[in-house]
Amino acid sequence: MGHSHHDEEFRLNTPEASFLNRKLDRRNFLMKTSLGLGALATGSLLGMDALRASTSKSGPEDASSQEAILAAIPHIAPRAKRVVYLFMAGGPSQFETFDYKPALFNLAGQNLPESVRKGQRLTGMSASQAALPMVPSIYKFNQHGKNQTWVSELLPHTAKVVDDLCIVKSLYSEAINHDPAITFFQTGNQLAGRPSIGSWVSYGLGSDNLNLPSFIVLVSKNAPQDQPLYARLWGNGFLPTRHQGVQFRSGKDPVLFLNNPDGYDGSDRKEMLDYLGKLNRLQNEAFGDPEIDNRIAQYEMAFRMQTSVPGVIDLSNESEEVFDLYGPGSRDAGTYAANCILARKLLEKDVKFVQLYHQGWDQHGGLPKNIARQCKDTDQATAALVVDLKRRGLLEDTLVIWGGEFGRTVYSQGKLTATDYGRDHHPRCFTMWMAGAGVKAGISYGETDDFSYNITKDPVHVHDFQATLMHLLGIDHERLTYKFQGRRFRLTDVHGKVVNALLS
Amino acid sequence: MAVHTRSLKRAKYLNMHRIFFAMFIFTVLSACSVSLPDDVAEAYQALPEDLDYNLHVKPVLSDKCFVCHGPDKAKQKAGLRLDIRDNAIGELDESPGKFAIDPGNTQGSELVHRILSDDPDYLMPSPESHLTLSAREKAILVKWIDQGAEYKPHWAFVKPTLPKVPKTQYESKVINEIDRFIFHRLETEGLTPSNEANRELLLRRVSLDLTGLPPTLEEIGNFLNDKSADAYEKQVDRLLNSEQFGEKMAVDWLDLARFADSHGYTVDRLRDMSPYRDWVIQAFNKNYPYNKFIQWQLAGDMMPNPTKEMKLATAFNRNHAQNMEGGIIDEEFQTEYVVDRTNTFGEAFMGLSVGCARCHDHKYDPISQKNYYELFSFFNNVPEAGQISWDDAMPGPTLLLPTERQEKIIAFLSKEVDEKESKLHESERQADAAFETWYQSNPLHRMSDGKLPNSGLVGYYTFDNGSLRNAMDTRQSGVVRLGSGPESPVFESRGNGKALHLNGDAWLDLSPVGLFRKGDAFSIGLFVYIPKELKEGVIFHKSTMERHFNYRGYDLYLKDNKLRLSMSHVAPANAIRKYTIENIPRDTWVHLMMTYDGSSRAMGLRLYQNGVEAPMETVADNLTKDILLYQGQPGLQIGAWDRGWGIKDARVDDITVYNREVTPLEVRIIAGKESWSETASKIMRNDSKLFEELKVYYRSAVNKEVAASLQELRAVRNARADSVESIKEVMIMEEMARPRKSHVLLRGNYDAFGEEVVGNTPASILPFPGDLPKNRLGLSEWLIRDDHPLTARVAVNRFWQNYFGAGIVKTMEDFGNQGELPSHAELLDWLAITFRDSGWDVKKLQKLIVMSATYRRDSRASQESRTKDPENRLLSHGPANRLSAEMMRDNALAACGLLKKEIGGKSVKPYQPEGLWEINNTRYVPDTGQALYRRSLYVIVKRTVPHPTMATFDAPSRSYCVVRRQKTNTPLQSLVTLNDPTFVEAARVLGEQMTTDSNAREGVVNAYRRLTGRTPDSKEVDLLLELQQVEYKKFRDHPEKAKGWLTTGQYSVDRKLDTSLVAANTVVASAIMNSDATLTKR
Repeated sequence: MGHSHHDEEFRLNTPEASFLNRKLDRRNFLMKTSLGLGALATGSLLGMDALRASTSKSGPEDASSQEAILAAIPHIAPRAKRVVYLFMAGGPSQFETFDYKPALFNLAGQNLPESVRKGQRLTGMSASQAALPMVPSIYKFNQHGKNQTWVSELLPHTAKVVDDLCIVKSLYSEAINHDPAITFFQTGNQLAGRPSIGSWVSYGLGSDNLNLPSFIVLVSKNAPQDQPLYARLWGNGFLPTRHQGVQFRSGKDPVLFLNNPDGYDGSDRKEMLDYLGKLNRLQNEAFGDPEIDNRIAQYEMAFRMQTSVPGVIDLSNESEEVFDLYGPGSRDAGTYAANCILARKLLEKDVKFVQLYHQGWDQHGGLPKNIARQCKDTDQATAALVVDLKRRGLLEDTLVIWGGEFGRTVYSQGKLTATDYGRDHHPRCFTMWMAGAGVKAGISYGETDDFSYNITKDPVHVHDFQATLMHLLGIDHERLTYKFQGRRFRLTDVHGKVVNALLS
Repeated sequence: MAVHTRSLKRAKYLNMHRIFFAMFIFTVLSACSVSLPDDVAEAYQALPEDLDYNLHVKPVLSDKCFVCHGPDKAKQKAGLRLDIRDNAIGELDESPGKFAIDPGNTQGSELVHRILSDDPDYLMPSPESHLTLSAREKAILVKWIDQGAEYKPHWAFVKPTLPKVPKTQYESKVINEIDRFIFHRLETEGLTPSNEANRELLLRRVSLDLTGLPPTLEEIGNFLNDKSADAYEKQVDRLLNSEQFGEKMAVDWLDLARFADSHGYTVDRLRDMSPYRDWVIQAFNKNYPYNKFIQWQLAGDMMPNPTKEMKLATAFNRNHAQNMEGGIIDEEFQTEYVVDRTNTFGEAFMGLSVGCARCHDHKYDPISQKNYYELFSFFNNVPEAGQISWDDAMPGPTLLLPTERQEKIIAFLSKEVDEKESKLHESERQADAAFETWYQSNPLHRMSDGKLPNSGLVGYYTFDNGSLRNAMDTRQSGVVRLGSGPESPVFESRGNGKALHLNGDAWLDLSPVGLFRKGDAFSIGLFVYIPKELKEGVIFHKSTMERHFNYRGYDLYLKDNKLRLSMSHVAPANAIRKYTIENIPRDTWVHLMMTYDGSSRAMGLRLYQNGVEAPMETVADNLTKDILLYQGQPGLQIGAWDRGWGIKDARVDDITVYNREVTPLEVRIIAGKESWSETASKIMRNDSKLFEELKVYYRSAVNKEVAASLQELRAVRNARADSVESIKEVMIMEEMARPRKSHVLLRGNYDAFGEEVVGNTPASILPFPGDLPKNRLGLSEWLIRDDHPLTARVAVNRFWQNYFGAGIVKTMEDFGNQGELPSHAELLDWLAITFRDSGWDVKKLQKLIVMSATYRRDSRASQESRTKDPENRLLSHGPANRLSAEMMRDNALAACGLLKKEIGGKSVKPYQPEGLWEINNTRYVPDTGQALYRRSLYVIVKRTVPHPTMATFDAPSRSYCVVRRQKTNTPLQSLVTLNDPTFVEAARVLGEQMTTDSNAREGVVNAYRRLTGRTPDSKEVDLLLELQQVEYKKFRDHPEKAKGWLTTGQYSVDRKLDTSLVAANTVVASAIMNSDATLTKR
């Protein structure tokens, strides 16, 4: 009779829980075989069958049931075993980072031609500006790496690893404001309610580490808090709650409620939990409910998290060389640089999906000063993470992703002066990069026009990016579905295609 | 190997066929038979004799076929629909002579060949769909066609009829009709109902289910000692009549109504909608009939003579998330709000995912995209903004909820205003006598032509010497701004002087001139030259960043040749708005003057064009709160807003600002359309109209008594405005005077208009009756009509879920084709009709359910039941479910006695780890004192950062309608009940009580009973006593280990006690709190 993923079903890959899983599988097996073979023999199946039909889940059981969907993974040979996604929240400008536009130097201060804008909508912040004066990057670009890739002077460290990067300059989105855009990137839908990428990955692939959550989120403490973040960006939507991202925080309580009451140490807790286990087993003797076994397993897992997490987040055993590599700030827990080291440690522990958020890229005004600071706070550690993963042999099967929710406009929002300007949100083209498992290293993909306003070659939609990400993990984005409210949902909705040109 | 097969006969031979089939299943061959693969043949044999379309066939068709061959017209492949029989058995459009389904003839049915095919190009469902049919599903379709491919209407769309109550062999166990339905079914399935639960567990179950709180030791004792036959019923009545009943029932409704304390979306500021929450609690406690309960929420504002309470109920439709992010497109989010209301309407009241039809026809249910937007149009007439105000003003429309004291003050001040208005009229009458004397003194000859009326003139800007100075006060100078910094003004010559040129982005800031309140009379005039090309832009305003603050202030705005004059608190709901009817001239200088009398009424706000009052249409006349910003008060701004919307290449000149309402004669003079000398000579020539105007001028501008009366009136008007400002507001529904037009939105996009639609309901559910108005009120009537197939069923199903953990239809949110079939269809209908016929009596229905023998069963499952019915859908035994998030916390607080029972009020902030709200740029400051111990339904809901204790136990974020919570079991939950300060503190209070109990054993037993409602057996007590000893020794030897147990939370332990023992007992209490006996309701 299977079990619904929406409800009480949970399938922990812990030794404690595995016997339950086996039990469930066996139950399915028995049911299927009895239907197959028992029919003629007993003739008593009518009752059973009616029962089965009337108590089945929201759809008939078959090969496309949730169990079968999960059992079919991997759909393709996975290239990546884990992902680290460096989310630059706010929308970093492509003009000052990767999308070099020398033609703009001659056009500075001129109005954006209608032939370029083509009536496309702008945000409410600049749609009504009488003038849309174009502005080139105030920062210089230089060529780096084997392919002489143009990279801004603001990213000297990233420039050094450019041969490892697969830069995509032709990302585009449909949303024009932060909330819908970031929600779209993380969940495939502009409105709240769908599972985030990490949750889909956790749901599809489970966990390779019994002591840590499979989806962990880190938020930089040293970023400007201009655009707020929200827990639903790593939420599980309609997937079971255990697939939600767990935020690891710097400070004394890295996972909510991980710490025992002051003074009560791990062995004390262990002792208490042993008694709790006995108490629950007594209860089980009286009630005989598999849920009780399951509850016991949850407490044991909780305890293992309590013992393993503090060790993972403690960076004190890292060498001086590592701190120097990740740069200033890396010794200060909770900064972007320290989070990059922590991310590497979590990846080493086989956490499936680690997502870092760094806010502060929303530069409507004062862009030159602010983007320089943002780059300074992130560039060295970002590059260090790539270097560090590579030298540890992890880059082969770890996918690194860097990017925000949209790009910025070629025209200045607000006043344009010789040294200052702002840029509004621009969803029609922007740059992201990936590195590592399964992606081509040292390439740039996609092209934009002279104004980085429209894509001229190889557009990559957000859903395409998501499809490609899933593909690298061995998942066909069209086949990892979850049935909710009568409909099969997937990360990419009804869109998305794998960008094969990015795959190595 | 494909084996034999079966006889395939026409439907009319069905009966014969059945006998035949049963006897000679493997031996019969027929010309029109199709050969089945092994597995399908095997499955075929295992199928029940009679297939039922709704039970067996449609779930397969819907789930596997309707995506391409269902109700979505745009996606129908090959013109084939399988949801309608006539279409399914008709000749195929693309294959003449072929039929998808030929009833009784599988050989002639293309569908059968397709589903059995091995050829990927021919196979259905197609491989790209990633849908596959199991052998059993194939067999079902084949056999169904065999048997004549009979269709039936979808059960949930057919109005329920009262079924006959079945008989049962377990009559002696029956308490009410529910049991007959349940037991009868158990009999047919060969299952036996379990015995009644023991009294302790039963009391805990029913107490938690009806009030969300566990029974106290005293309540348990009373029940155990009550030997009367109706002992249980007495408990049920007590619980149903307690105030906590409404609180418990409200929790589910608040999930459904997506009630929250913050706006949601990215800038997730707090808002206080607690009056709605408290109304829901009271509605349950007062046992409002369900039909009235939902009708008020949908259309209370449209009921005849609506009361405040009816209006408050409509907050239901405003609880959705609202967006404050700067730069969003207003229409986009205004549309989202209507979409949310429409989807919530479908899901909450009808159990239908109508939202699926937003972008295209529904794929599974007969709801077209047009049907969707017809429903949408009912909710699209609210005078609301898509971007809500940045200054935390409650988004309009709202209801003011004054306290009694505030109400008295407002009544007093309103009386004062009336009196001062009468006094003003009296002064004006008396002024007419003085006018004669004044007129005789030949006053007009003292006025030189070209001189402006100077009474109340506080601002005058001519730009003539290339300066932005105010001629009335040269210390004041305007500044041209773009962003923060001053810009160089651009002048151009006009006549002998200069005018100011505007570039559409920069604006002339005349602060502090022009800073007025809604109780002040004032006037603003200027000459403006508007170029032909300009479509839209602001001419002048006193506000900042327009929609960002919902136009707080006043403004004159050009849009498509018309002018809009507004005065706003929160536009468009709390505002005055008027539009000119005639076009404004272009490429020429025009004089515009706004005058305002301080009355806060549309008729007191006027616009003159070239000295003549412009006819205007009023679209909003509801300014109840003031027009000042909460901080950063700008004055008059000319030519653009910060962020544009300016009048590019327009020019302005001769700006005048008066702190009084100037009269028509003055406007003409200011506009240069009349001079003082002309006026004098016309009056000399007996122009009586002008003479009257002069009289008006005298009263307003010259007479001192009138001026004094006006000042008094202004003072009380502003005093009243000050008092209204602090009155609490809640969002409610309101209809716009001129309904907004609704269209089908192509692909669901806010700006892609399709066909225009008007309010209507899907005929597949229930056609909209002709006798009802096509508005929200009519819609609410439609919903509660006796012949509505869904409303009562959906309601009883939701209530049922509360008690049994799952609904009779488990897919609470989907009664459509993809939804699960009811486990007890007849019981569902019986309950629905009984509920409706009781006058939708909610308490009566709850009582019926909890009184039933079915509800009272022991929750332990027999081995047989566990094998045959692992989910206990047939209810052979009682329900066992994990406590909900709210129950989990409330149980701990109630057990230790900290719980503060107080109904309603603002939401509270209990303990929460530090820093959580920082990702959303805010700080969480926990409450102190009793607020920490309020019930969990009052815990603040900030949508973007949920309270971790609640969220970890599956409380939804309340961002959208939820009718069925997840029920998960995770390690993070264990960490909450082990370490969350709320639970540690509650354990300590219990630990202290245990320490003061007369002996250790009694202490353990009492704590156990308080937390779990049951008396522990001796093995459990012994184990806990052992734990106590182990911990006691530990804390005595290492007192530092007890620190956290003794100090977490605000409750302090009596230091006279042996603190090591208190700590040891605290650990024991915590162990009980974390045990299944506490966590699970059995």
